[in-house]
Amino acid sequence: MTKYLLKRLLRGFLSIVMVVAIIMILIYTFINRKNIFGQDTYWTKVSSNQRTVYEYTRWEEYGYLDLVMYTDWLNDLIKNGELAPENRDKVASIGKKIADDTPEVAEYVKKFTEYYQNNGYTVKRLEAKMLTATKYLGGGKEYLFAFRDKPLISRLWNYFSKMVVVDNIHYVEEDIGERGIKLTLHDPVYGGDKFAPALIGNGTKHKYLLYFDDRFPFIHQNLVTINIGTSYSINQGIDIVNTMTDPQGKQEPREVIYPTGLVEQSCDNLHTATYSAGSRDKSIITQERFTDDYTKVTLYKNGLSKIGYSFIIGIISTIFAYALGIPIGVIMARNKDKLIDKLGTIYIVFIIAVPSLAYIFMFRAFGSLFGLPTTFMMEDAGNVLMYVLPIVSLGLPSVAGFMRWLRRYMIDQMNSDYVKFARSGGLSENEIFRKHILKNAAIPIIHGIPGAILGSVVGGIITERVYVVPGTGNLLTSAINAYDNGVIVGITLFYATITIVSLILGDILMSMVDPRISFTTKAR
Amino acid sequence: MNEELVKIDDLGLSEEELFSHYDNNEIESEKITAPRYSYWRSVFRVFFKKKINIIILGLLLLVIVFSYIYPILVSYEQWGNLRNYESWHLTPGEAYRVLGFNLHTLLGTYGAGESIWDSVWYGARTSISLAFLCALINMVIGVLIGAIWGFSKKVDIIMTEVYNVIANVPYLLIVMVFVRILSPSFITLVFALTITGWLGIAYFIRTQVIIIRDREYNLASRCLGTPIFRIATKNILPFMTSVIVTLAAAEIPSYISYEVFLSYIGLGLSANETSLGKLIEAANGAMNQFPWEFWSPVAIASIIAVVLYVAGQNLGDASDPRTHM
Repeated sequence: MTKYLLKRLLRGFLSIVMVVAIIMILIYTFINRKNIFGQDTYWTKVSSNQRTVYEYTRWEEYGYLDLVMYTDWLNDLIKNGELAPENRDKVASIGKKIADDTPEVAEYVKKFTEYYQNNGYTVKRLEAKMLTATKYLGGGKEYLFAFRDKPLISRLWNYFSKMVVVDNIHYVEEDIGERGIKLTLHDPVYGGDKFAPALIGNGTKHKYLLYFDDRFPFIHQNLVTINIGTSYSINQGIDIVNTMTDPQGKQEPREVIYPTGLVEQSCDNLHTATYSAGSRDKSIITQERFTDDYTKVTLYKNGLSKIGYSFIIGIISTIFAYALGIPIGVIMARNKDKLIDKLGTIYIVFIIAVPSLAYIFMFRAFGSLFGLPTTFMMEDAGNVLMYVLPIVSLGLPSVAGFMRWLRRYMIDQMNSDYVKFARSGGLSENEIFRKHILKNAAIPIIHGIPGAILGSVVGGIITERVYVVPGTGNLLTSAINAYDNGVIVGITLFYATITIVSLILGDILMSMVDPRISFTTKAR
Repeated sequence: MNEELVKIDDLGLSEEELFSHYDNNEIESEKITAPRYSYWRSVFRVFFKKKINIIILGLLLLVIVFSYIYPILVSYEQWGNLRNYESWHLTPGEAYRVLGFNLHTLLGTYGAGESIWDSVWYGARTSISLAFLCALINMVIGVLIGAIWGFSKKVDIIMTEVYNVIANVPYLLIVMVFVRILSPSFITLVFALTITGWLGIAYFIRTQVIIIRDREYNLASRCLGTPIFRIATKNILPFMTSVIVTLAAAEIPSYISYEVFLSYIGLGLSANETSLGKLIEAANGAMNQFPWEFWSPVAIASIIAVVLYVAGQNLGDASDPRTHM
């Protein structure tokens, strides 16, 4: 069994890599790159050479290519000591036309061109566009830069090799004093008196590597971070795991005891402190509060994270769907061709045939008749009623699914020989249905349980969009609309992992429930 | 030995009773006495036996007439009522009072006096065409590949791996990425919906083929040297007609649903094409102010989808030979 599972997991991992590769090929090579400027107001304002350069810099930000400007290269040379800083101005200003270059400039331009062409880059020189002999055309300044499309293999390798990051005490490059990780039993964030174990590092990226707090799941770690990419446009510069797991909503001040001993009403969540070089000396505010450079913190907010919202709505709607769908399916099978069966079938047809957007809007309109809130207000965190409609809209379609399949499986079982035998043996219809038919018919339904639970994290893409739920499903649609390639890749990976894990868990659960199913021996 | 024989004369039977000439009619002997069975005639006999199917078929006919013939007959003028500001944003009731009874304004009007009824059927034509085209392409590719996938063990190994990889990505995600990659248009949408859409169908067909592939009559057929292609087309395909029809019936509404959703999030057709999804998306903003503008296309889309689905399901039931008894 273990061997089989390991094999499954390995194949699952391979298929995740494939999926990510396919999505990367799709979005980085097939999307027309100019599309990202569709809603860009700055792009429409700039023109000529400036627009071209702006396009390349944006493409670099969106992860399409590597871009090196000539001036950046010169700065690197100065940093490495290959060019004296005082000579910089002499070689930096390239001529309006190639012919106008001074000999020093021409020499360095040649170096630049050779160096980057040997590394597989394309060097592009935009000559100045002039209105008159001395006056530039709008945005017509001259530019020199080199660019290279990121190759798939290295992109893929970078993505997966940097995915799991283990925080270590050599993360900080600057001098930071004695590096190390120490365990404290009295977390300084709580004043140092309360019993609260925490692992505190010095030299690591995160200050708190392990700590307890009042937020679900109460114990948190920063030792191992998963990095599945960075958002380019919808949550600029923030990595996707944080985008999905950071709390959202209104800031919520509470009493915070800073490392210097200052006590203040603040939203700073000191447990999330990360290193930011030289940040303490930058302002008097940080100097008053912090004793070291671990000053970058996230804020306490009253809402849940994106995953949190999706999970709560998903899990409740899943429970609701099972609790409602299975009994109705059983009743329909027991009363085959009677009124209740026909009514159920009409409902199933309704859910299958009617466009999902249409029935979600119908549920929404119906709910608003009863005064239920139809949009999700994060600021209004205490309001439980706003969860009702998303849960119902997500749950009711799956109820139809359970009704349909359980009815089908049970009716198939009803005609089998063992049921006839049980009946001839004198068992009551109730016993036959409860103890024999339901048990057998429920096996395929049980197979879907892990999928349903994990799938609830994925969130209803349509439901979340309609009710403006700030969850993961909504994140995907906004990412696609904003051409946020990093988020699209990250979410694809996330979805693929969840699908694979839930399939494996479903198989394990099924083999536990039904002893006839075994994965160790070959079927035939 | 001779005593044991019976003399025919002793039996006292007439010559005619003993022997009579019987015409050996070869054509006559080939006839089968059972009533003639025609598959498709039986399908339609079973289909029309249910009275509800006649109503469904009538509705289906209406939907087709309104979405394909009606737009040809009436010229749809989008800005025809623009001058008449009284005709802007009318509910069906108001339209009856202001403009009198008129088929065009049966469902009221949009913001510039455009007829909702006409727009909805124009949109329905696009949506239904899209759904049919996608279903057709996906079914043809899916059934063909699924049949090969089920038959050949080598193909099975490769295709199962391909399926395992692609099925891990939510279908909606693939569709959204593809629509985003290509500039939005009708063809793009068809392409995005069919590029991996056939895979699920092929997998389903593969399972069905495997179930009946090794049945005894197919084994016998193979022992007699029937080519695989003939087994596939003559032995297995007829068996699966009802499965395929049922599957197609569920596919068509799902594409209408996808189109509506994609248009709703702004990933649908290009700006100058109308579809049910685009009408719903356009009316979504002012839903509380002008609810009928929103609910009219939603209602028509739902009716069309349900009619297509039920018609297909019942045809699927009727095409199962087991119901022909």
